[in-house]
Amino acid sequence: MINILIKKELSLYFRNLNNIFLPLIFFFLIISIFPLVLGPEKTLFNKIIPGVIWITAILTTLLTSNNFFKEDFNAGIIETYLTSDVSIEIVLFIRIIVCWIFTCLPIVIFIPIVSILFDITFQSSIVILLTLVIGTPILISIGIFGSALTLGLAKNNILTPVIIIPFYIPVLIFSASAIQSVSAGLPYDMQIYILASLLTLVLPTMPYLLKYTLEISINN
Amino acid sequence: MNKIEISVNSATCYKNNNLIFEDINIELKNGDFMLIIGPNGCGKTTLIKSLCGIQKLEFGNILINNLDIHSKNSEYIENIIYLGHKNSLNNDLSVQENLEYLSVFDSSVGSNNFDKIKNAMDYFNIYKYKDYMISDLSEGNRKRTSLARLVLSKKKIWLLDEPLSFLDNNILDSFVSLIKRHQANDGIVIASTHYDFSKSISNVKYLKMETK
Repeated sequence: MINILIKKELSLYFRNLNNIFLPLIFFFLIISIFPLVLGPEKTLFNKIIPGVIWITAILTTLLTSNNFFKEDFNAGIIETYLTSDVSIEIVLFIRIIVCWIFTCLPIVIFIPIVSILFDITFQSSIVILLTLVIGTPILISIGIFGSALTLGLAKNNILTPVIIIPFYIPVLIFSASAIQSVSAGLPYDMQIYILASLLTLVLPTMPYLLKYTLEISINN
Repeated sequence: MNKIEISVNSATCYKNNNLIFEDINIELKNGDFMLIIGPNGCGKTTLIKSLCGIQKLEFGNILINNLDIHSKNSEYIENIIYLGHKNSLNNDLSVQENLEYLSVFDSSVGSNNFDKIKNAMDYFNIYKYKDYMISDLSEGNRKRTSLARLVLSKKKIWLLDEPLSFLDNNILDSFVSLIKRHQANDGIVIASTHYDFSKSISNVKYLKMETK
């Protein structure tokens, strides 16, 4: 069962290769806008670039997760999920993980290149990488939750971000604090542990929450 | 669960304060075939969704062997297969991949079912399209792909919403014989339709709905 589910998700992503490359291109475009707008002043830029990377990652996850269930909803697949006698939590869990692998993992892989591009210190770029690896699965899960929540509504393009961005704040606070700590030469393990605990809280509970939310959205 | 009795008692449903249907009463047992007939907008689809358990009722209840379908102990979800008027097919997967994927959601199909899927495609004459993407198929062939799930499934209660839309007359006979075979196996079929195709089927019950 699980191999069919994984095979289906992978073939869907590989048949629409723009699903993989567009988030990455989007990420690079947004990041390269900042030097153009702010000017080439190096001290200012060194200070804000970790934040810029995080904001860009947030925008990318927002855009990719916004219409996560829309196509399946229009095709009636969500109804099949909910009238099925197998546990669809596994299905949803696999879909979250695969979505993360294809939208956020490319960004994480390209962080070293971004670091070289913007002259980020090795120590900082390691911490940025670490916070992104732990943080983006949380962001993607919450984004997918938002898309499930607004599924029954006809026009929800801007509503989903408005609902879910407040839930991003805890992740952001601890990621930013970890990055600030490392550039100030302070220990940053506490923030990483808190992020990791958020991840272990959100990821396993999200499929159950999603199933419940989909039931409500379908009922409208 | 071999012996099945479905009873719907004074079911009433509202959507956004609009009355969709009220006071529907149904009694069904093994081997029954029920046609829900009525004009557009009379609530056929909503009634079928209520019978699946994905649409909540305002009043009334739906019992299976005297247990409410939403209660934990009822084995309702293990016994139903729902084919909505949306085909539940993924446009970027082929016919065969779609059937493989959808059989994951139906525990009665079992694993290693390549031959079963081939039979199901043969039954509705879509084997020659097995590697076509759904987006390249005609509406009728999409419907056939969706109906092929019925050949695969061993579930007792079929809930079909407009199963005949886009189907041509050639396939209608094999669809009707599929329903008869299911009735002979003690199954229950509930279908909504505009076109009464029940002439050669026995044990038919009609539910006529009217626009409110």
